[in-house]
This record gives sequence, structure tokens and C-alpha cells, in this order.
Amino acid sequence: MARIKIDHNKCTGCRHCEIACSFNHVAGVANPRRARIRVFREGATYFPTIAGPFVDAACTSKNDLIIGDQTYDMCLICRASCPEKPFFIEAETDFPLKCDFCGIPPSPSCVRWCNSGALELVED
Amino acid sequence: MHGWIGRCLRVNLTKNDFKLEEIPQELMDKFLGGRGLGVKILYDEIDPTVNPLSPDNKLIFVSGPLVGTGAVTGASCNVVTKSALSGTIACAKLRGHFGAELKYSGLDMIIVEGKAEFPVIISIMDDKIVIKPALEYWGRTTSETENMFKSSLSDKWAARDTYLLSIGPAGEKLVPLANIINDGFLSVGGAGIGAVMGSKNLKAIAVKGNHSVTVADGNRFVQVVTTLINKLNSAPLISQSMSSWGSAFLVGLCNQKGILPFKNFQSSSFEESKHIGTEALSSAFVLRSRGCFACPIACIKKVDVDNRFYKGKGMAPTYMAIGALGLNCGITDLTNIGIANMICGEMGLDPIAAGGTIATAMELEEKGLLTKDSLKLDFRFGNGEDLIQALTLMATKKGYARRIGQGAKALAEEYGHPELFMGVKSIPLAPFDPRSLQGMGLHFVTSNYGPHHLYAYTFIDEVLSVHEKLDPWTTEGKPEFVKRLQDITAVVDSLGLCNWSLMGLKFNNFIPMINSCLGTSYKAEDLLQTGERIWNLERQFNMRAGFNRSHDILPERFYNEPIEDGPAKGQISRADEMLNDYYKLRGWDEEGRPGNELSESL
Repeated sequence: MARIKIDHNKCTGCRHCEIACSFNHVAGVANPRRARIRVFREGATYFPTIAGPFVDAACTSKNDLIIGDQTYDMCLICRASCPEKPFFIEAETDFPLKCDFCGIPPSPSCVRWCNSGALELVED
Repeated sequence: MHGWIGRCLRVNLTKNDFKLEEIPQELMDKFLGGRGLGVKILYDEIDPTVNPLSPDNKLIFVSGPLVGTGAVTGASCNVVTKSALSGTIACAKLRGHFGAELKYSGLDMIIVEGKAEFPVIISIMDDKIVIKPALEYWGRTTSETENMFKSSLSDKWAARDTYLLSIGPAGEKLVPLANIINDGFLSVGGAGIGAVMGSKNLKAIAVKGNHSVTVADGNRFVQVVTTLINKLNSAPLISQSMSSWGSAFLVGLCNQKGILPFKNFQSSSFEESKHIGTEALSSAFVLRSRGCFACPIACIKKVDVDNRFYKGKGMAPTYMAIGALGLNCGITDLTNIGIANMICGEMGLDPIAAGGTIATAMELEEKGLLTKDSLKLDFRFGNGEDLIQALTLMATKKGYARRIGQGAKALAEEYGHPELFMGVKSIPLAPFDPRSLQGMGLHFVTSNYGPHHLYAYTFIDEVLSVHEKLDPWTTEGKPEFVKRLQDITAVVDSLGLCNWSLMGLKFNNFIPMINSCLGTSYKAEDLLQTGERIWNLERQFNMRAGFNRSHDILPERFYNEPIEDGPAKGQISRADEMLNDYYKLRGWDEEGRPGNELSESL
């Protein structure tokens, strides 16, 4: 199965993937808030996060995300949109957004515009 | 309307009031946006002879039509005002994500007028515009301001989508060398703008929004952008040099060509280059790239290592920082240069203007014209601690540093040696020696914004031979070349693109992207004409502000003292010889005045 592999070490935080996604799903419209991928910044690190399923309740147990000597909030890489993290909800319609790999066969537009190599389409 | 939002926010700080205005279609067609539009508004609305620090001066933040659309390198937001350092028109380029977020908040432009009674922040969050008191922010550094503002927001996720521009203590204290900082990036060519913002008691502007930016032909636009990304990737200068080291890779190259100034332009080569060239850089920094909005190049480097070349964290110094704060002050230690660059970012000082001032002070001291008593500071070429101490004091206007904070020209004049000021129109030269780059020399004297290389980056052809191969030492064909590049840069800035993209792309490559985005059918000549119109308008502003041919001149050193050693030995600048030809090409008279016909066509 194809999936998008994310290497946060390579991400430069340019957010070109957000715009690519927005264009692919709403013709001619550039708006990061309508994208199904978002890049979150924490200090010097960027976390590209792809929209997963919508959940209507926040989770009860959360682990810490430890990379090197830094501890990050797990919500940063969580793909779900929940009341705690109101991302991936279309502002105008309140409709939850979810990554669809830009159709079948998968050819995600975010990967096409990602020049840093942070996003990669891989076959498992 | 595509690319454009078509709305502008006018804030009057004296009345503590704001209103939203439509931007007339005619202006957008004629001046494209960004720098062009900002210049037009400033030209129409203020008296060019106004005191830059008075409430009558205006401060215009304007994003180009391609910003936020995903156009390659479309991130730049221009800040147009009358400069407090030079008295000419000033146009800084803000990098990072502020420009794009301004578009998403439903605005193309913010015009700031008047002066607030006490420090304020303009906050534009999801269409809610508030002028907030900001007493607790006054005196804070730029990164503190950003963190404080973000943590004051109740929604921590909204804080992640908020972008800020701010001034540091230097701007608050009206130091003319002050600059504006956003997302931790120093703005380009921003000397003299931070003080204008400080004089309005405006500490910061915060933006966040949900609006969309539309493009005319979505499918074609996506195709063109994909092609341009691939094209940039196949250009070795971009994909190998810029992406690996940022502009710092130019240091070694400039040293080989005798362009790198050393000790206040006294010489143009130095032997210890192995400590500072690309090899040293790659072993000094485990470089992590940071990109501005929609930028496939990502030339900004973050450092997070300690080793024998570099200690500390933060942004790796760029060519500009290494040249202006380092070598021109005789300093070759990367750690000190990095710290100095960081202080500039935190305090809100412009590295070229501040570095040039300190280099002038160092030469005064070397020649025995400055005693320790007179400034109570040491200025020895090559001493990094002197530099760091001077920068901090300069920004906070403490003690004797108050006097050097007035800039290199004022300092050189105060001690009776105006010839030691290395700059044009009161602004110190960017770190390129005009004697071994004739085109750059001509650009330095004629630039409307003072001698900054990024308003016509002649380097890319005179040394790197990206578009055509030119001999850096000849004057032949240079006036045409400089004029063309100045016009191209005016267009690129107005659209909101980054100059570095010209290292991998030709101007013609942008045309399909521009047309599919804006729904226009511009040809390259149409756009160049617009570029020329913008340049003439800026010139007209400067003429009315009291500048004329006598200000289009390099310091005597570059005409009279040939380069002493190194690869460009014996070269002098011949910018003065080219000036008449340049004026003629522009259609100006011998005094450098745009003619009546030109003025009417504006």
C-alpha cells in the first residue's frame, strides 16, 4: 500500500505542500486553512502533519513525543482533528477534511511540490 | 480579481482609528503591487521633504499579488516609507511568512499614519482589527515580543498560525540604523525603517486569517509552478550552493575575485579565507535549512552545534553578515560574526548599516583620530568583542554609543574625516567592492534606496555568469545592463518574488506564472516598462526630497585609491564615467532629473 513518508528533519517549513493541497482540492484557490496537510513549527523543528479521521472527543491519554533531547507535544504529529485541536476543519462549511492521496492511483500533490525531500511517496 | 485581494487597511494612530479601503484596479494594473504600489501611495500622499520621524511620514506594508498564491519564492512583503537614515525613499523586503499571512487575513496593504500616544500593537486576527496598548512590550527584544504576543493568546493553536513583525529596542530609541524583524529574519534593505516605526510608537503588527487567494487559471498555474520548481532544481547554483550554505557560499568566491571588502574597504583580499569559505562553513555548521513561504530554495540556515569554528545556536550568518559585520571590520571569527548577527536580529539593527558604522569607527581609531576617551569604547580592527559591545550599546543608545548610533556618515563628519565614510546617500555600502565590479558600482551610485546589492544583483552576471557572461572590470555595456536589472528587480519586488530566484531562473521564465496567476497577458517588455515607471517614480520622489546628481557619487577612495593587492590589484571604480550614459538611457537630463514627459506618464 502506498503511503506518504514524512522526514521532519528535512522539512524547511516553506508550507508549499499546504498550497499544493489547497489547489488540488479547490480549483484555483490557495488557502492553507483548506489544506489537508499542515506544517506545525515548534522551536527550530517543523512537523508536517497529514489530516486523518475526525474525532468528536479529545483523547484521554497522551504520550510525550521525545526527539533527541527535546520533548514535544504529541498533538503536533497527531493526524486527527478533535475539539482540542481544531485543525483540518473547513472554515466556511465546518466540514472535516481528510487526506485522500489525491485520488487513485495515489499521486499526492504535496509530495510533488515538496522540494526538501521531507515528503516522499513510498510503497510498503 | 486574481492574486489580488483588493483591500487595504488604513490605520491612523493619532486618532486611534482605522478604516478599510478598496484599492483601485487602475493602480494595480499600472504598478503591479508590492513595492510599486507602495511607492505610488507614498509619492501621492506625503510631502517628500517631511521629517522622516514626524507623524506626517507614512509607513506602508504591502504584499505583492503573487504572494501567498504558492508562486515559487512568492513570500516577500515590502515596507515603503521615507528613511530615517538617508532621507530618501526606503523599501525593505520582509522575508518569511508575514507577507503571505497578510494576504490570508484579507488585506494587500496596511498604511500606518500619525503617531500613537503610547506604544501599541496592531493586531489583525481573523478579521478582528484591534489597536492594542503594548506598554509591557516596550523595551523587549524581537523574539521576546513574538513569544509574549503568542503566549498572550488564549488559543495555543491559533498562536501557531499567527505571524508578527516587530522592532527591537533600536527602533524604539529612534536609532537611524534600526531595521524591522519578522519571524526572526532581518528585513533586506531596511536601514532607517525601524526608527520610523518606533517614532509612531508602533511596536509590532500581528496577522492571522482565513481568507483565500485565488488564481485565474488554477490548472495552468500548478503546471507552471511545478516546472519552475524542477528548473530551480536543475540549476547547480541554487540546488547545490544556495540550498547547502545559503548566500554564505559567496564569501570564498568573492575573495577569489577580489570583491570582498576588508577593514572598511581598505583592501579586497585576505589570506585566512580558509577559516571562512564554504569548507569552513560546512564543517562549522550542521546546517538545517529554513524556507520562506513557498520557497523551494530554503537558503536560510539554522545552526545548532558547537565546534571549533562556531559556538551557539540561531541563524547562521549570511554573506551580508559575514561581509558587513565580519570582514569589513577585520573580524574573521565565525562565532563572533554569528553572535553579532544575532544581536542585530534581537535588537532590530540593520547589519549593513551597523557594520559599516563600526568599520568607520575602527578606521578612525586605527588612524589615531579617535581616542578611547572620546567614545569610551575600543574599536580595533579584528576585535570581535569590541564589535559585540558596540552593537548592544548602539541599539540601547546607552552612554557614548549614542553618537555612533547616528550612523557612519555622521560619525565620520563629527571627527572631521567625511572621506572615511564608505557609502552613498548616508547608507554604508553592501559588502561588495565597487572597484572590482563596475556594474555594481554604477548601481550603488544610482540606486534610489542607497547602495544595497539586492535592488539590482549585477553579481549574478558579472561573476556567476548566470544569464550572460560579463567581464566585471569593463564598463562596456554596463549602463544598459544595470538599467535592465534595476527594472527587473523593481518588477520582481512588486510581484512579491525573491531576488535569489533569478540565480536559477530567467526573467522570461516568470511570465507564464504571472499571467496564469493574474489572468493577464503581459509580455516581458510590458513588465519591464512597469519596472522603469516604478524606478522613475522613486527617483522623482528623491529629487523632490532634495537629492540630485551630486549625491550619485561613491566615496573618493574608490575613484582615487586602486586596490592594493589580490586578484583585482590596480582596479579603480569608473562609475562616474558611466553616469552620463546611464542618465541618457533612462531619459533623464544631465542633472539626473526625469524629463517632463516621463513625469507625466507617471
